[in-house]
Amino acid sequence: MIDRIALVAARELRAERRQPDGVVAAVTFIAVLVLLESLVVGPQIARDADVASALFWLALAFDRELEDDALEGLVALPGGRDALFGGKVLSLAVVLVLVAAIGGLLSLVLLDLPVALPLHLLVVVLLGVVALPPIVVVDVVLALRLRARAALVPILALPVLVPQLVAATRGTSAALTGDALGALSWAGLLFAFAVVYTVVGLTIVPAAIE
Amino acid sequence: MIETTIPRGTPLPRIRPWLGIAAAASFVVASAMALFWAPTDAVQGDVYRILYVHAPLAWLAYLAFVVVFLASVAWLWAKRPFFDAVAVASAEIGVLFTGLFLVAGSIWAKPTWGVWWTWEPRLVTTAIMFVMYVGYLLLRGLSTDFSRRATRAAVFGIVAVIDVPIVHLSVLWANSLHQLPTVLRIAGSPALDTPMLVTLMVSLGAYTLVYAYFMSARVSLELARQGRLWTRT
Repeated sequence: MIDRIALVAARELRAERRQPDGVVAAVTFIAVLVLLESLVVGPQIARDADVASALFWLALAFDRELEDDALEGLVALPGGRDALFGGKVLSLAVVLVLVAAIGGLLSLVLLDLPVALPLHLLVVVLLGVVALPPIVVVDVVLALRLRARAALVPILALPVLVPQLVAATRGTSAALTGDALGALSWAGLLFAFAVVYTVVGLTIVPAAIE
Repeated sequence: MIETTIPRGTPLPRIRPWLGIAAAASFVVASAMALFWAPTDAVQGDVYRILYVHAPLAWLAYLAFVVVFLASVAWLWAKRPFFDAVAVASAEIGVLFTGLFLVAGSIWAKPTWGVWWTWEPRLVTTAIMFVMYVGYLLLRGLSTDFSRRATRAAVFGIVAVIDVPIVHLSVLWANSLHQLPTVLRIAGSPALDTPMLVTLMVSLGAYTLVYAYFMSARVSLELARQGRLWTRT
């Protein structure tokens, strides 16, 4: 199954490389939000570790989950539905890592944020990014070929993503401010969410792919 | 292969009138105990009596969504329309009770905290749970094919249940205005006087009977609707 997951993921990533508009739009979206935030609430509040972390993760969650067209084409691919789910989750995670890396660096530079624990921050961001795709792909699959799916996906996904977003925000904030134990605790929670939802997705989502 | 017949010989229509009588009688008894028998709270005064509505509504919200989860697993496992009927019935009733749970909480919060609503973990997670199951019903409403609708809803019903323990434990995980659990406490016995505890238990039982009655009625309606759909097709 791992081969088939890799095959689906590779196909998705090739498509992303050929048309990198999604990644560019995602990074631009994060940059615009950071700039707007600084203007609206003022640079002092915008540089607050909690505020900056929350905005970064909300931007990341909002940005990718509306992208559901790619799955339409993938459904026609040969191979198991579990591989389809796994491949889509893997490719989305890789793309999100890229967006988070560029968007995160942009946020750090634009807000001139000091990073107390860079390694912890890296772990939290990586696990936060890995924790989002399983839910997003589940909800994209559920809303596939439905009327009003553009509105339905965020309605379904964002409430389910709340624990991950809270954990990612708190973990990032802890890493920025030097709370090593807090950062690792939230990272552990993110890892647990990623594992649970990936297993749940691989088990039940194939039934929903038509 | 989907079974396209309504299960025969279901006991629901036969027990429903008795369930209704039991639910109504126990509801009257629970309300009388809450209003007249339970003692006045030393700190909150009579305002606390809303606990006998608020806590059973919370219990029913949790129960309803756990039933959605179990029925969803059963649908994916057995593909019997009865389980889908149970899931949709419980989700609708759960949304109703979660809405009432939020309203009852607000009515209690105003005299106690001085506000109708505050950004507090229990309130926010409950509101998220409410939105989540409204989304579940929306997902069902937008799907037209029976089998696909049931399967999609079942997958979401399984994923969404994670919010139930989060709502319940949110007061322990975060610094919260909301009081800590008084009955299901990790350490020690319930922090309630015996008459208060008895009244609360009677209320929980009465509201559970109301849930059971609503479920029996709604499941029957859903099965009849499914039957009409299949007759037409």
